[in-house]
Amino acid sequence: MGSKPKHEIAREHFELALQDIETGDERGAVSALFYAAEAAIVAVADAHGVDTKQNHRMKADAASELHSNGVLDEDCGPLLRTLNQERKDVWYEGEDPDFGDETLEDVAERVRDLIEAAEADHD
Amino acid sequence: MTESVRLILERGDPRRTDDWTRRLSTDAVIAERNQTPELQQITEIVVSRAITSGAQGVALTGSTARAKRTRISDLDYHVVGNRPDVHDLPADVDVYESSPDKMRTKLLQGDDFVQWTLCCGCLLYDTGVFREAAVTVVEQDLWPDAESKLRRLPELRRLGERLIAVGDRDAAQDQVRAALTSAARGVLLRQGVFALARSELPAQLRLIGADSLADGLDAAIYTDPPLEALASMLETVVAVELVSAA
Repeated sequence: MGSKPKHEIAREHFELALQDIETGDERGAVSALFYAAEAAIVAVADAHGVDTKQNHRMKADAASELHSNGVLDEDCGPLLRTLNQERKDVWYEGEDPDFGDETLEDVAERVRDLIEAAEADHD
Repeated sequence: MTESVRLILERGDPRRTDDWTRRLSTDAVIAERNQTPELQQITEIVVSRAITSGAQGVALTGSTARAKRTRISDLDYHVVGNRPDVHDLPADVDVYESSPDKMRTKLLQGDDFVQWTLCCGCLLYDTGVFREAAVTVVEQDLWPDAESKLRRLPELRRLGERLIAVGDRDAAQDQVRAALTSAARGVLLRQGVFALARSELPAQLRLIGADSLADGLDAAIYTDPPLEALASMLETVVAVELVSAA
């Protein structure tokens, strides 16, 4: 089991999230979307010399920094923080996912955009 | 008397007003002693924001409350009320929120986190909800439900296996550590041992002879194991599942 590039890992998590959404496994989907988004941010951050230090908060902060620097069009910091909290709530508190006005599919679309940005960075 | 009751009474009998007042003062001192000035400042902000948004209780929990922080420790809080916004704070802050009703229900259902707050947490603000909960533990001689921790192991393990299969080492380590922690807490509670902070669990496990679980947890906390090693650690979780189901 060698180490894979982070943007490829992000894509794999994302494909699993789509399968989970299709089969109605919302908990699996929330977790997979979170890890997909984190891996995508780490891929972009590594390419642009932004430190993430294997820490969830640093990754969310890096997402905001990459937006401020003009690397990413969208500030994905809030998306990462929301997904992290939802992941904890659904897995450890037994709650249903709650993304406010957005559906799980809406969130998945935003994560897809982020992964595509990470992939484009590694082309 | 359960270990939970003993731990609560050690810090003051919640049925006595003087004892409870003394506990709150002592907890504030312990919290200050266990945090760096930077962490103290973050805690002050969290408590202040929680109170402003109507919280009825705020406790510092987890490894910081036990002076057992490690390189991976979050700053953990239990807020009885709405979760305050903490995204701008310069630390990995994790806030567990519960309404007073939810906290009471969880306590009576054997939730270990609520009892952890009462037994080992630093209670930094209390309108009476924590005191009432502590009295309930003492008067009903409550003990956390080990089986509920153990029942969750298969799904936590499967999530770990999935992350390993994807090849995401960092995410897999997070999840393997979570599964091992849950297994450790379940095993200890089943033996009548109150599970303390995560970094204290390996020593507690060794005292009851659960050495492989202790070794796995130690490695998941203090090292960065490769994916193959993480997969082996999950085999320990499977072993706990099998023993629990027998």
